[in-house]
Amino acid sequence: MSDVTQTTQATPAQTTVHRRTPFSARGEPRVWLMAMAVVVCLALIVGIIGLIVVRGSATFWQGPIDEVRLQDGSVFLGVPSVTETYQPQPDELERIEQARADGQLDNAHAFTKTGEPVRRRYFVGNRDLGQESFRWVPLWEVASIEQPKDVVLVERDEWGPFLGRVRTLRAVTDEDPNPTGQEFKPESVSDRELQSAIDTMEARRAAIARIDRTQIPRLQNQLRQLEWKLKAAHLNQERRAASADAPPAWLWWGAMVGCIVAVGGVLGLRKAVRHTNSGSRVPVAILACLLLATGSLAYLWLERPGSHKGMSDDQVTQIEQQVEAERNAILNEQSGLLTQLDDLREEDNRYRIIIEEPSLGRISPVSRSAPDDPMRLSQVVRIVPANDLSFSGRIGVYLSRWWEFLSTNPREGATAGGVYPVIVGTVTLTVLLTISVVPLGVIAALYLREYAKQGVVTSIIRIAINNLAGVPSIVYGMFGLGFFCYTLGGYIDEGPTEPTPVGSWWGLVGVLFLAILIAGACGLFVRRSGDRLPDSASRLISIGATVGWLVAVVLAFWAISSTPYFHGFFEAKLPEQTTFGGRGILWASLTLALLTLPVVIVATEEAIAAVPGSMREGSYGCGASKWQTIRKIVLPSAMPGILTGAILAMARGAGEVAPLMLVGAVNLAPALPVSTDAPFLHGDRTFMHLGFHIYTLGFQSPDSEATAPLVWTTTLLLITIVLLLNLIAIIVRARLRSRMATSAV
Amino acid sequence: MTTQTAQQALAEATNRKDAPSVVDVIAAGKPFPTEVHAEMRNTDAVVDVDQFSLWYGQTRALFEIKLEIPRQGVTALIGPSGCGKSTLLRSINRLNDLVDSVRTDGQMLLNGSPVYAPDVDVIELRKRLGMVFQKPNPFPMSIFENVVYPLRIDGENRRGLLMEACERALKAAALWDEVKDRLKHSALRLSGGQQQRLCIARAIVADPEVLLLDEPCSALDPLSTLRIEELITEISQRYTVIMVTHNMQQAARVSQATAFMYLGRLVEFGPTQSIFQTPHLDETEQYVSGRFG
Ligand SMILES: Nc1ncnc2c1ncn2[C@@H]1O[C@H](COP(=O)(O)OP(=O)(O)OP(=O)(O)O)[C@@H](O)[C@H]1O
Ligand SMILES: [Mg+2]
Repeated sequence: MSDVTQTTQATPAQTTVHRRTPFSARGEPRVWLMAMAVVVCLALIVGIIGLIVVRGSATFWQGPIDEVRLQDGSVFLGVPSVTETYQPQPDELERIEQARADGQLDNAHAFTKTGEPVRRRYFVGNRDLGQESFRWVPLWEVASIEQPKDVVLVERDEWGPFLGRVRTLRAVTDEDPNPTGQEFKPESVSDRELQSAIDTMEARRAAIARIDRTQIPRLQNQLRQLEWKLKAAHLNQERRAASADAPPAWLWWGAMVGCIVAVGGVLGLRKAVRHTNSGSRVPVAILACLLLATGSLAYLWLERPGSHKGMSDDQVTQIEQQVEAERNAILNEQSGLLTQLDDLREEDNRYRIIIEEPSLGRISPVSRSAPDDPMRLSQVVRIVPANDLSFSGRIGVYLSRWWEFLSTNPREGATAGGVYPVIVGTVTLTVLLTISVVPLGVIAALYLREYAKQGVVTSIIRIAINNLAGVPSIVYGMFGLGFFCYTLGGYIDEGPTEPTPVGSWWGLVGVLFLAILIAGACGLFVRRSGDRLPDSASRLISIGATVGWLVAVVLAFWAISSTPYFHGFFEAKLPEQTTFGGRGILWASLTLALLTLPVVIVATEEAIAAVPGSMREGSYGCGASKWQTIRKIVLPSAMPGILTGAILAMARGAGEVAPLMLVGAVNLAPALPVSTDAPFLHGDRTFMHLGFHIYTLGFQSPDSEATAPLVWTTTLLLITIVLLLNLIAIIVRARLRSRMATSAV
Repeated sequence: MTTQTAQQALAEATNRKDAPSVVDVIAAGKPFPTEVHAEMRNTDAVVDVDQFSLWYGQTRALFEIKLEIPRQGVTALIGPSGCGKSTLLRSINRLNDLVDSVRTDGQMLLNGSPVYAPDVDVIELRKRLGMVFQKPNPFPMSIFENVVYPLRIDGENRRGLLMEACERALKAAALWDEVKDRLKHSALRLSGGQQQRLCIARAIVADPEVLLLDEPCSALDPLSTLRIEELITEISQRYTVIMVTHNMQQAARVSQATAFMYLGRLVEFGPTQSIFQTPHLDETEQYVSGRFG
């Protein structure tokens, strides 16, 4: 021991190892570089989010209205937005020089210090009077700008806001339909009489909307249902007439024999089992017999002699009568509603409001084609006295606009009004997508990680799944449209287009059962026999099992897709209307589920792989089966990871637009995908989606300049909703994690 | 054949100095006769291991082990690291089946019924045994659910019955007083020693025929070790316990029989007292006194 110490002490004296730390070993410059990269990334993220938040939340803020008087004497009202320098045209330059010479350029803000002219953009509205929503005004032309207290901004049903002054409110009476009627001039917008008139009008408008948009469409829908019911009855009548030809008798007998043989087989085998201890193969045999017996019995039942397909004439007549009675009842109700509606509309028509704009003294018209007829009071959504608002009043207007935005239906071809159905559509889609992708992905990942034999095939499958994540989303859209909407949806709607004849179809089913039996037997045999078989034999058997299952799956698809017993659930609606055979929220969410499947599979696989082996062993040691271990130990432990996958899938799916345009998102959906009518969730309906709505607002609206602020707001909303949905999942995950937290052992 | 090897062994035992050492025999690849003490022959065996061999792929981990584990009491498996103690233990409840490449030969009987036969239901077999691992492995659920897990997977859902079984097992595992007020809490928050006792409770809740312990104290502090040792002694009144340990004192304190393994062979098997005080083979003596292995 002691000489060891001596040698170590002697070494430094003999060799002169000079240790130093080179500059490259000190990381400071790299740390600085990395920090800079992080700062750049952060700045980009904060920038984009900040921009969206600022622009998005500014949309509903009401600034003051300017009454601008130009030097040529004309006057207009406008809400100022942007002020900027510009490059005047040569002729404008001349006019500027002219004005300067005349000494009229007294506006100090009209030019910058360097002499460039300044212009300002005004939102002027009043689009139905034939002008653009925005107007650029060079400040040098402006003679004066005032902000009179009596000008208002009127938000209307149609044609965007109107800027002007409230002149009179009048009720047109029967005796004197046209000009005056009762008339009064409101002192201000907060005038009690005006407000109460607006309130009454609001109630009436709500009543009209209820009848017009809810009750009558519901009746019409019922009428259509009745028609379809009738049509279905007639189709069934025809089917009965056509189905007179009986199936080939030999098949009938064959099935009978198969049934008896099967039952006999079960009994015989059970007896045999009691004597010889043949163990595991008995379940297969019993399963086989049961399968055969079920198949034969199904055949016997469906093709029993004198079985009736379709409907008899009596039944059809009964249905006809029933439909007739119901139709009359509905028509009665409808005509009642229509008279009510007419009355309401007539009453509504009497109340007019006259709002005048200053430039030419024109009034806000009832419609574009009747410019001299003052607008109905009910066309007013909100009157904002923009220059007569306190700060709290402004905040009130701001909040009430937000509320309107979030809670009402869109107007004017989805370029104004609220986005309530859009929010509902987006949330429904995302929820549907999540609840369809998570189980699918988890099951796939479980099989891949827990059951499948790890090897070349599983590696190839993994690579394929990972690559699926990189396929452009529009491709999924095309697949969704082709497969889900047209193929699958078409099948649901009208059944197989070319059904196989009954006899051959049962032959197909027989072969299918055979394939299942062979595959099942091979599978069981290969697992139970262990290493008592030579390698080549067991390989052969396992190939047999695989091929058997493949054949079975193909045959099953074939059998299902060509069954002569299914005629679709919505046959009667065709060709007039597709149900599931067209675009809809169900297919859209399934398409997105497919798109986000790789994310879930990868995340779940990782989570499953991270479950410690000691836990599994503990479970097996307790006598748990594989499935019990997976369900009780592996899945709960992997839950946080699975939720991470779900969150990623949600985030990706909710922001996707391209595939949705193909499989179901529309500009303006006639109804919400969820409702209080059974079946509550209408998978066949088209829907609105925030992502697509942004596109619509930005590129499809006739006045895209005016809708630009709404684009920002909608973007803000989309981000918020995705964030909220994720937040829910994140909170659930955090709870799970804290439950899983280990003590310091 | 068996008697002959026994005679040989006896001859070697009496004539130790001339006999080639165990290490040499193993190195030469010759079959090695286990030195079984007379007390250990013809006992009432709970686990009867008969010429059992095991391969991990190409490497052989166990060489024709022949071992009869006596009913009641604790049997300790000792031997240097990597000699196959865990493998042998995990072969008894066929936990090694989980490793893909495992192949076995020979037979094993648990209370007279075969462990390695084609028609054995492995899951049913494992239900007859309890196992505790080196590292405590509580499941991510409540303490209560952890203890009654074996009953739950048997489909037992009657609350009263489960509660009773839980209390009995926790009391037997000397954990009841510490956790009786927080049965609903997560088991993962228990301390390491408590977790190990919880695992013991879980292993005995369904009344196993044999309890398998794989170094149950190696991750614990001396005090917890002591408690668990006491616990094992107490449990062994009712159950047959097979325990792997690296701690010679522990083996000496707790067990009644000891098996010494080396390089996948069972070298010597006898009552603990004689293994530690008058072993028949030099290697055993060297190992138990810490000079070998
Ligand atoms: N899953 C496995 N695959 C391949 N070889 C293995 C596997 N498990 C164990 N072995 C090998 O089998 C031999 C015996 O291992 P085993 O775990 O039984 O040793 P041990 O006696 O329990 O050791 P320790 O006292 O360190 O726990 C070792 O050589 C080991 O490398
Ligand atoms: Mg070990």
